[in-house]
Amino acid sequence: MSEIGFLFAGYAVIWVILGTYFVFVGRRQSALKRELERLERELRVQG
Amino acid sequence: MTESYPALDRDAAPVAALADGGEVSVTPGPARRALWIDMLGLASVALILTALYAALVVAPTEAVMGDVQRIFYFHMPSAWVALGPSFTVVFVCSILYLTKRDLKFDRIAGASAEIGVMFTTITLVTGPLWARPIWGAYWTWDPRLTTTLVLWFIYVAYLMLRSSTPEGHKRARLSAVFGIVGWIDVPIVFMSIRWWRTIHPTLITGQGMQMDPTMQAVLMFSLAAFTVLYVYLLIVRVRQLDMGSRIDRMRQQLLMR
Repeated sequence: MSEIGFLFAGYAVIWVILGTYFVFVGRRQSALKRELERLERELRVQG
Repeated sequence: MTESYPALDRDAAPVAALADGGEVSVTPGPARRALWIDMLGLASVALILTALYAALVVAPTEAVMGDVQRIFYFHMPSAWVALGPSFTVVFVCSILYLTKRDLKFDRIAGASAEIGVMFTTITLVTGPLWARPIWGAYWTWDPRLTTTLVLWFIYVAYLMLRSSTPEGHKRARLSAVFGIVGWIDVPIVFMSIRWWRTIHPTLITGQGMQMDPTMQAVLMFSLAAFTVLYVYLLIVRVRQLDMGSRIDRMRQQLLMR
């Protein structure tokens, strides 16, 4: 692999790792939001 | 408890009050805080993209190593965020938890360790990609590389311990002890290039930073961008862990009815 190839690979890996972590954080946020909404509804129903 | 709430992402405090069975007061505080966090997120992305542009376009080509040296502008800040703020916050919050017995510190430590492992992974992957064309090998058992790999294993084990133990003071106590003992490797990683013979470059010597001024400016900018990104991710993850804890309390409340 050429020097530019290693440079490209290096930055590609960085974006893949950062992107994966952002997706994980985003999904976690959505799941927590849904669960909070569900529990809030249940608590309201039960008064 | 009959008030209506704004969007859930913005209403951590009312939901917490609901979970605690207390009176609910809807104030603009949480919404404004969420807006600031979103803005910090956008700022960190903008800073990282600018740092990328600076690393690939603004920084001059290194005379000996050539273009591959540009990996350095993201490799070194990743290492800085992991070893500096991330694992040090784990260490400090572990001590704070043991002295104050407040689970808030345990959650901050957990979130910071997770981010630190992510940035250490970036450091450990980009290093070999830079090393291969320069040293002729992806990996050598050099003291800096070895101690960094050990550090990664320590904090992966820390996260495994947390995920395999139920949330509570027992887990917090175990994690805090691990977080304090594990941190011992951080100064070892930092000092490894001074204590032992190494082929890893030494950035700061007795004569200061031996670098072209433009390269130095790009590096400083990148360090700042990564630090802002770390702060943003830490805030978001701590809020998520707080939400998870509230969810647990609400579940218990529902079970008790």
